[in-house]
Amino acid sequence: MIGQSRVAELELPGAAIEGASTRPAQSYWNESWERLRANRIGMAAGVLIVIMALIAIAAPLFSAVVTHFQPQTIDLGATFAKPGAPHFLGTDELGRDSMTRLIWGGRVTLGVAFLTVAVSLTVGTGVGMLAGYYGGWLDDVLMRLVDTVLAIPAIFLFILMSILFRPTPISLALIIASVGWGNVARLVRGEVLSVKQRDFILATRSIGARDLRLMFRHLLPNVLPVLIVAASLGVGQIILIEAALDFLGLGIQPPTASWGNMLTNAESYFFHSFWLVIFPGVTIFVTVLASNIFGNAIRDAFDPRLK
Amino acid sequence: MTQALLEVQDLHTVFATREGKVKAVDGVSFELNPGETLGIVGESGCGKSVTALSIMRLQRPGKIVGGKVTFKGQDLTKVTESEMRDIRGREMAMIFQDPMTSLNPVFRTGWQVAEPLRLHHGWDSKKALASAVQMLGRVGIPSAAERARDYPHQFSGGMRQRVMIAMGLTTTPAVLIADEPTTALDVTIQAQILDLLRHVNREFGTATILITHNLGVVAGMCKRVIVMYAGRVVEAGPTTDVFANPKHPYTWSLLRSIPRLDAERHEPLKPIEGLPPSLVDLPTGCAFHPRCAFKVERCSRDVPALQPVGDTQLSACWVTQAGAELKGA
Repeated sequence: MIGQSRVAELELPGAAIEGASTRPAQSYWNESWERLRANRIGMAAGVLIVIMALIAIAAPLFSAVVTHFQPQTIDLGATFAKPGAPHFLGTDELGRDSMTRLIWGGRVTLGVAFLTVAVSLTVGTGVGMLAGYYGGWLDDVLMRLVDTVLAIPAIFLFILMSILFRPTPISLALIIASVGWGNVARLVRGEVLSVKQRDFILATRSIGARDLRLMFRHLLPNVLPVLIVAASLGVGQIILIEAALDFLGLGIQPPTASWGNMLTNAESYFFHSFWLVIFPGVTIFVTVLASNIFGNAIRDAFDPRLK
Repeated sequence: MTQALLEVQDLHTVFATREGKVKAVDGVSFELNPGETLGIVGESGCGKSVTALSIMRLQRPGKIVGGKVTFKGQDLTKVTESEMRDIRGREMAMIFQDPMTSLNPVFRTGWQVAEPLRLHHGWDSKKALASAVQMLGRVGIPSAAERARDYPHQFSGGMRQRVMIAMGLTTTPAVLIADEPTTALDVTIQAQILDLLRHVNREFGTATILITHNLGVVAGMCKRVIVMYAGRVVEAGPTTDVFANPKHPYTWSLLRSIPRLDAERHEPLKPIEGLPPSLVDLPTGCAFHPRCAFKVERCSRDVPALQPVGDTQLSACWVTQAGAELKGA
């Protein structure tokens, strides 16, 4: 029996006909999370990245407890040691422990990657939002700026910058982000242009919301999915760019270890100490692959139509 | 006579397009009295919605280029944007045609309904939500407290329109503008939403502007109606008089084009011949004259003004202003 009290509390005829939904509240975020969880390979890739990040954060702990070496300790009595105890992944030409350097290098490489993504996302979102929302001359000015930035040959910019400033992880992240934000801005602008046409934006203006609130409280959550996808796919790209710069000697400078600069010298020793190339190379490969797989999984989860 | 709550005088809104200036609203005047429900009817593209949006100054990218909108002694076309924001959602609320897209998909409905209270009264989330839940109950959402936690996609079209109405009413505005509120809904739900609007009008004393192309809706809801054609008001008056004895050929044709139960069995419907004119390139004289069955020579030359015709109605037509009756095949 339908509770009579409930019928009585209705003020209006006909309201009971439509009835209440019995489905539990499922937000967009919940549903996306469910889809993501169901994607096992994607989840495995995500977990791998999280583990890498955790190991990188805990690098000093690993140094002290697991490998018992410091990343910059030179031991000329143990150069080119083969993988095995006590150097699990061998040593380089100066006798530095590869595994320790790999872990500390992860700190730098992953740190630069995440910082770069964070900076380009913040700047790109701001610019894309303003351009897309206001349109008109502001859109023209900002988008021509983006065109200009994206037309700069990045590799020459990086070379120039690394001559002007000695690259540290933070300056390197800012340099890479200084061209990376352009693509994010374009992406966000496109998304804002489509979302702002929808009635709920007009409805929100009709209740008296000011522009900033409309943009960042009401519009931004609708753009967030593309940002999350861009972020997760971006990490892999940035790692590759950063590794290339380090390899060329334009990025993080020795003796600080990074995955890229560990390869710089290793190439000369490839034929008698292949592990010096293999381990950093495989680490970069696996991390970028995991980041791309995870990024795709996130995209599929947030926007099943794209699959 | 009572003081009008909202008075629109000679409003002009234009859109700049590649083909030229579109005069979407071209000299519209009417007033809305406290507590009344006024109907605005007309075909698609005749400027009904733009008129409504212009009143709230939401006509972007259109531009209001002339006229006055007087509300509580202020000319809304002159107030600053921040004063206008204070009026939107506090003094005037609007409901839109498609309830499927007029709620933000990423927020819980309770949060959205509470938004005007947070914006205008500065209430904290908890207080605003409690009030929103109460309002959801009052517009006929069953188990409002639970439903407030649901997202828009979990509601049916009719329920979403109730949510929109609740959002409009939280701040008990003086004017509610309903822009084709039932067009996107199926017939049984239309009746429920119209019931709700009637109830809201009685209960809250909210003056309502009901925009529709459905003459039946106007007949059931509004004491007074204005008929628009090509951005202008062509006829205005009490609904019963306008329907019984239309004083403009456009109204006359509209009324003949709806199915009637008392018509002869095989009598075909009589559509209005031709299409509404392009607003970029209006015909000279009366915009309706190319489709008009009563046109005289003057109609293609001069634009008729809205003048009293008969005791209660206003009409912009040379023929009826000259005293002729609209009768015909």
